[in-house]
This record gives sequence, structure tokens and C-alpha cells, in this order.
Amino acid sequence: MYRLRRPWTAPSTAAAALVRPVWRGLPWRVWGVAQGAGTLAAGLIRVCGGGPLPALVLLRAAVLAGALGLAFLLDDPARHTTATVPVRRVVRTALRVALVAPVVAVWWTAVLLLVPGSVRPPVWDITLEAGTASVLALAAATVAVRRTDEPEPGRSVATALLAGAVLAPLLLPARWALFVAPGDPGWAAAHERWAWVLAGAAALWAVSLREPRRRRTVRAPLRSAFRSVFRSPCGTSGLSRTC
Amino acid sequence: MTATRTERTAPVAVSTGTRNGRAAVVALAGFEARRLLLRLPVLLALAGHVTWIVWRTLRPADDFPVLQDADRATQSGPLFVGLAVMLCANQAALRSLRRDTERHFAVTSLTLWRRTAAHVLSVVPLALLTAVAVTAQFTWEAAKPGAVGRGSVAELLAGPLTVLLFGTAGVLLARLNSSAVAGPLLVVAFLLLFVGSASQSGGQDTGPVWLWPVVVTSGVHPFPSDLLGRPAGWHALYLAGLALTVALLAVLVSGGRTRTVQAALAGALALAALGGVMQTGGIPAATDTARSRASLAPEQDQTCVRRGASHYCAFPEWTPRVEDWARIADRVQGLAGGAAHDRPLLVRQRLEARYGLSDDAALDPATRPDQVTVGTSWGGDRVPEFSTAVAGVLVAGNERRAGELCDGRMVPLMWLSLAWQRDPESALRHVRLDDSVTGSALVLSGTEPLTMTAGQTKVVRALLHRPLADVGARVKAHWDELTAPGVTTARAAELLGVRVSVGGDRCTG
Amino acid sequence: MTVTVSASGLTLRYGATRALDDVSLRLTPGVTGLLGPNGAGKTTLLRVLATAVPADSGAFTVLGRDPGTARGRQEVRRALGYLPQTPGFHPDFTPFEFVDYVAILKELTDRAGRHREVRRVLAEVGLGEVRGKRIRKLSGGMRQRVALAAALVGDPGFLVLDEPTVGLDPEQRLRFRELIAEAGEGRTVLLSTHQTEDVAMLCHRVLVMADGRIRFDGTPAELAARAAGRVWSSTARDAGAKAGWRTGTGAFRNVGDPPEGADLLEPTLEDGYLLALDDEHAEVTA
Repeated sequence: MYRLRRPWTAPSTAAAALVRPVWRGLPWRVWGVAQGAGTLAAGLIRVCGGGPLPALVLLRAAVLAGALGLAFLLDDPARHTTATVPVRRVVRTALRVALVAPVVAVWWTAVLLLVPGSVRPPVWDITLEAGTASVLALAAATVAVRRTDEPEPGRSVATALLAGAVLAPLLLPARWALFVAPGDPGWAAAHERWAWVLAGAAALWAVSLREPRRRRTVRAPLRSAFRSVFRSPCGTSGLSRTC
Repeated sequence: MTATRTERTAPVAVSTGTRNGRAAVVALAGFEARRLLLRLPVLLALAGHVTWIVWRTLRPADDFPVLQDADRATQSGPLFVGLAVMLCANQAALRSLRRDTERHFAVTSLTLWRRTAAHVLSVVPLALLTAVAVTAQFTWEAAKPGAVGRGSVAELLAGPLTVLLFGTAGVLLARLNSSAVAGPLLVVAFLLLFVGSASQSGGQDTGPVWLWPVVVTSGVHPFPSDLLGRPAGWHALYLAGLALTVALLAVLVSGGRTRTVQAALAGALALAALGGVMQTGGIPAATDTARSRASLAPEQDQTCVRRGASHYCAFPEWTPRVEDWARIADRVQGLAGGAAHDRPLLVRQRLEARYGLSDDAALDPATRPDQVTVGTSWGGDRVPEFSTAVAGVLVAGNERRAGELCDGRMVPLMWLSLAWQRDPESALRHVRLDDSVTGSALVLSGTEPLTMTAGQTKVVRALLHRPLADVGARVKAHWDELTAPGVTTARAAELLGVRVSVGGDRCTG
Repeated sequence: MTVTVSASGLTLRYGATRALDDVSLRLTPGVTGLLGPNGAGKTTLLRVLATAVPADSGAFTVLGRDPGTARGRQEVRRALGYLPQTPGFHPDFTPFEFVDYVAILKELTDRAGRHREVRRVLAEVGLGEVRGKRIRKLSGGMRQRVALAAALVGDPGFLVLDEPTVGLDPEQRLRFRELIAEAGEGRTVLLSTHQTEDVAMLCHRVLVMADGRIRFDGTPAELAARAAGRVWSSTARDAGAKAGWRTGTGAFRNVGDPPEGADLLEPTLEDGYLLALDDEHAEVTA
């Protein structure tokens, strides 16, 4: 009979052991499609030519495609099995991010290199936009995982991200504009705002990483009162979230 | 094995009414349409569309719509509804795969291609809803008292057909690629291609640009309907053909390879190709000729009516607007003195149509005495601009000379133009190019702009602050001197009883 | 008795594996149980009979229709109710919407009639009260009942149920048995299960499958009778037993070939099933 030598394993050891299975479980197919589309957008700049503005628009489309792919990062069909393991969610999520970060970095470098230097927007500024979009996607996915019981929230996260990307340029007032054209006098100020959004998204992400200790919607005494009044149909083999 | 192969098998009747595949497709389409309509992105897009319509139609600048422009102004809003419908239709078509119900649904009598047909059909009610919104927007415009012209059904169809096209594209994509990220990526691509380009297609209004779903070409000056040269009918046919093609392709790749589907696909492709070819043919020669005639010899096409001593000539669609022009011309003329007070004017509507819809070149000023130019737009700043044009002709004799004024005559001119208005100072701000009320500035008029020096601005403002009757009496009393060539601004100020230091009359800028 | 489903020589290979190996059977109205270990080919047989996958060879008819033709398959599907193993759900739908959706897929197009039918089956499976609640809020047992309602809607003549009682608690299983027994009145029900008790309680016939072949075809009593004289009690594990376990009384219950003078016990269906699986040669008694 197999016996554990120690009652628990150090988190770092567990994380190291998890690298391979997590790597295998990442939604690679979705990323393949998303990054392929992003690369295609960047390739269009090279093939079709055009000025700095079309190049920037296509690069932003590539950024959005990449971010849409990242929205699926935390999709885990086995979530209900892995939810109760002792390796904490923050470790599992961080591992996913750590594994995917080099891949995304290589992809982004390739996308930037595809854009001819003459029309390429300032590299660090556009990378800031890309980083913000990625962290926003991650933060949204983390919030979705925290707030819902859905094993694969990526689809909803991608929809929300997309809605944000469509509405932000339409609804943001000029003084908060984020999507400015190259050569616009507001470029530097806009990228300062991008940095603030990045900081906000990162903070949201960090806060959402922790597993909730209690259900958010109803406070405990109220909840028990509710329970006694409305018996919820829960407790068998299902994925019921109400119990 | 002892199973015998000559068993007597008894059919068992299937109850619960008659079963009909086609009716089931329609019922499923209804079900899917209801769900589609209740999806958050679609609801948001519809709410956004309605808000946009209300905001756009309530703008004061939109009080005098020209209906042959108002019809195509309905086209860009539905693009966003189309994108939301595309995303949600794509997700709906993938639902059974995502939720693992395909194993069950695959053995129901409604085969995959029929279910795809239902998904495609479920987009139709959304397109109809868009059509209702578009019709409401247009009807609202048409019901405004200041509306002129006539809209085109084909232009109004473009929005709903775009929703149909985008929705069916979402379903087709679901059948080609089952990845959950494919739908959002297609939205990004469409956003870039069609929404981004719809606002940037500015320069072009002929040729391949018509292969895009929405070609807005927001011109500055409305054209008479028969000079538009927009192949709206062919474009609607092209969009309908394209939407049908995409829908039938989705059915075909889902396994619906029946003769009917194949024949319908061929028909739809033919429609799309016909519309596509016909719409990219460019402006017909007859339209080109008509545009030249309307630009160079508008009197050949115009209807003239007499109001008081003056004549008003307009393109037939604009004749209802004569009353507005006459009212303003009368107000301005009522303030003038001397012969100008009763001089018969000819107010002629003019248009530069030779360079296409998106051209915004200014008109040359008229050289004929007492002729005032009025454009095809009205409302907002166009009203004080027309007022300035009338005052210019009354003071300087014709438009060209008014444009060249650089002396004290600018004072009575601007006073005539502004004094009758409800908020003259605000009107002054609006007709000046830099929206200022101090210093020198260009003053917009229907044709060439006029120039106001800082001194003239000071005098005019001082006059606007004094009682209308008092200034009016002085203007009439000194009309001849005030409108004599070479009168200085200082002299004009003195005649009108304004004591400010005005400096010399220099109109270099 | 009227034969409603008849199959002969059904064979289906997945690569080198024979999931179905020359399977022939005849089903009559009532509940027929299909027993067999994991990987025996039960689900494959059910999927073939439910027209989800075509067999490589062999033929079958359902309610007199031949699913070999497009029209015949369509007619079979109109008469079919199918509950797949681990059925999927649309969690945003309510039970009513989901069953209504399946009813439309079964071509019930008269809206009022269809809604009546959906309400009827939901009431039949005991979900009348929660039919407006989203499926994501329902417990596992309730979801399983939604799936059964989806299979039952449209009053199908042939009902294929693939392990419908997996994951249910004893009370829910009893309730499910009732439902399936009711469904079997006048219909042909093919019930795949690992629960021999379900078969003993519900089925007028039982098929035992192993390695893609039918090893037994007969009544539950006949299956149990196969173990007559082959189940005995002993104080220690008997070396000659094909299966043996210590019971709660401390004595061992053995199945296999008993030694001389063994203390024979009354056989159960499970004993018969174990022996049917163990037999080298398929035996179809019916």
C-alpha cells in the first residue's frame, strides 16, 4: 500500500510537479486560432502596406485577438474536480500565467517584427496597450472564475472583453481617450492612461486571485434564514452551486 | 445466435399530432430567435441603437433633414446590432457542441442542416426588428416640419440586410470552425473591415467600395435625389444575395446537400454577383450630365416662386423651404434702409455636384446683382449664414463684392445679418470661423467667407447691445453713407453713435 | 409477442476493436435490460439502435421502419426517445425550455399541443414544480429527470436509456424505476445499466453483453436460474469459486462450480450475470 511520507507537500514542489499536467491542460487550440488571427492582422500590414494609422489599427486588432485568446486561459473542464485540492487556486492560476507568458511574449515579438519599421508605432507604447489588454483579459477571467461556478467562463469573458473594446472608443470622452492615432498630440497622455488602466487591471486581478471564503451575495445570517425558508434543491451528484 | 430474420414486425403508431420537418424548422427558428433576442450583447446593441437614433434625431442641427440623406444615415447604427447578432448567433449554433447535447440532438428527426437552417432563420426577426428601428428613425425624420426630399426604400434596407448578413455569417462560421474564440475574432475582423472603413470611406463613393456592406459617404451638401448616383437598389440586391448565399452555404456545409439547397445557392450567388457587378459600374453618364447641369445652370431644373417682391428658385424637392428663406430675407430687408429696403432679390439655390457626394468645395459667389445664394442644407449655422448672405447683397450689391468688403460697410452688413435674431451675440459666434466674439475673424456665408476686423467686431457688438429700434432708425437714416464704398469703420461707428476706438480697416487677416 | 425492434448481424469496429460483433436481437414491448461490464459494447449497441452511428454491417428495423434508408432513419427518429450516457444540458435553459427545445427537434410543431406535452412529461417525471427554474440551479437527480423528460417527450414508441440511474441516490433510483416501468407500458424500452437490481425489478427480459457479443438473452428469472446449484456458502474462501466474498454474517458466498456436498444458496440475478460473463461461449436461451 502506498503511504505518503509527509502529510503535505511544499507548494513549490507541488507547483513544479504540476507544470506538465497544467501545460497539457491549457486551451492551446483556442490560442492557436486567436494568435493565428492576430498574426494574420500583422501580416496584412506587411502585405498590403499603408500608413502608420492602418498599421496601428491592425496592430490593435492583433492585440485584441491575443487578449481574446487569453480570456480562455482559466477555462478548466475539470474545475469541479480540482476546486478542492490543497494546492491553492492562486498557485494554479499563477502557474498557468507563468506557462503562457513566454509563449505570448514570443508571439508578440513576432507580431511586432512583422510590422515594417517605417509604420510601426512606438514599440513600448503599443506593448503597453497589449499588456493592458492581456491583464484585463486575465483579470476578467479571474473575476469570472471567482464569481461563478462555470468551469469554462472564457466565452463570456471574451464577449465582455469584445463589448468593452467596441464600446470604449465610442463612449469614452475625448479627455479620457485611449485609442489615439499616431502623431496625435495626446499620444503620451493617452499612454499614461493606459498605464493607469494596466495598474487597475493588475490590482483587480490580484484581488480576485484569492478564493472567496464565503458567498458574496448574501450575508451568512441572512443566508441561513433564506435556507430555512426556501429549501434549495441541492446536494446530490450534480454541480449545484447553491450548497 | 438464434435470432430469426423472418420476424413479423408490427408498426406502432406515433402519436402527438402530425410531424412536419419544415414546420419544425420554423418552430425552432422562433425558439432560437427568442433566445437570441434575450442575449445581453444583442439587448445592449439594440438599446444602443435606439439611444443613438434618439440622440441623433433630437439634435437641433437635424431639424431640417433632407430625406434622401436621412435614409442612408440609418445605415451605420445597425452595424453594431449586426456584430452583436453575429456573435450570439455563432454562440447559439455552437451551443449543442459546447454543452454536449449534440449526442442527443443528433438522433432527433431534425437533422443538423435543418437545425442550421433554423439558426439562420432565427436572425430574420432581428433583421426585421432593425428594419422597424430604421423605419422609425426615418419616419421621425420625415415627420419633422422642416423635412424635404424623398427617401429610398433600398437605402433603408441596407441596415436590416447587414444585420441579416452578419448574423448568417456567424452561423456559417460556427459550422466551419467550432472554436469558441472564432466568433469573437470574426467580430474583430468585421469591426475593422466594415465599421472602421464605413467611417473612413470618405473619399470614395464609386467602384469597389460598394462591395462593403455599408457605404455612408457622408456628404456636406445634400444632393437632389436624382443626382445622388448611389446604386442603392443594386446594393440592396447585392446584400440580400450575399446574406442568402452565406445562409445557404451554412446549410450546405451542415449536410443539407439537397437539390433545392444547391439550386437556391446558385440563385443567391447569381443575385449577389448581379448586384455586385451592377453597383460597381460607377456613376451613369446621365447622372453625370444632370450633376453638371445642376451645378452650372441650375435654373434649368429649378422651380421659382414669388414671395413679396423677391423670387425664390429652388430644386423641386426644396420648394417647401422657400417660406423659411423668405421669412429671413424679409427680416433682414426690413432692417435695411434706402433702396435696399424694397429691392427685389433673387434667392437661388445652388449646388456644386460635379465632384461627387463627398466633395465639400465652397460655391463661387454669384456676380449677378441682387442674387443671393442658398445651399441645400438648412438649420443650425446655415440660417445665420444665409442671413449674412442676404445682408451682404443688400449692402454691397452682389455676393462677389460682399466677399471683398474691407471697409466700414461690414458694420451695417453684420448688424443687418444679426440684429433680428433671437440671440445675436451667439449667432455672431456661430457664423465666425473661430467661434470668437472678439478680434478679427472670417465670417461664414453660403459662398465665399467675409472678413471682420477687430474694430468692426467691437462696433457690431456694441450695436447689438443697444435697442434694435434705436440702431434701426440710425441705419435707415444714414443708409446711403453707411453703404457707400470707402466708408471707414470709424465713420460708420460715428454715424451709428458708437464711441469705440476701431483702428484702420485692414483685411489681411 | 409483437417484435418491435429486430436486429441481425450488427458489427461495428473501432480500429482493431470490435465494439459490436455480429449482434442479433429482438425486442418486444416492455423494458429490456442490457447488462454488461464497461467496454462490453452496450453504449455502442444503443447508439447504433438509436441511429446515432451506422453499423459497419448488419441490419435492423425499429417499429417496422428500416433506418438503412434516409426516409426510414427519419421515421425511426420520429418514434425514438434517447437518453444518452451523461447527457448534456443547456444550463441557461429552464427544464421547460429544454424539453420544449427537444420537442421541436422531434418535430412537434403545434405550439399549444407541444407545450401541453412538455408540461405532461415534466409532471410525469416530477419536475412540474421547478419547470421554470434554470437547469444550472437543479440538482444532479433533477437534471437526470430533465434528460428523461426530454427522452419521453413526443410519446416515443422506442425508448433507449443509457445508464439513466448512474449517480442517483437510492430514493431517486426508486423514483426512476417507477418512471421507467411506467414508460415501459406499451412501449419498447431498452435500458442499459450496471444495476442488476434495476433489471430484476423492471425488466421482462435481459441481455448480457461482453466483448461486443450478446452472452445471454432471456428473462431475469432464466438468468438467475443459470446460477441454480452454483452458489454456495462456506466458512472460508473457496478455491474453486469464480467469485466469492465474505458477507455480513461472516460466511463466504461463492459463485462457480461448487464442491461436493456444498451448502447451496438461492441464486440471484447478479449470480447469473457473473456466470454469464464468465462463460466462454455465448448462450442465448430465448
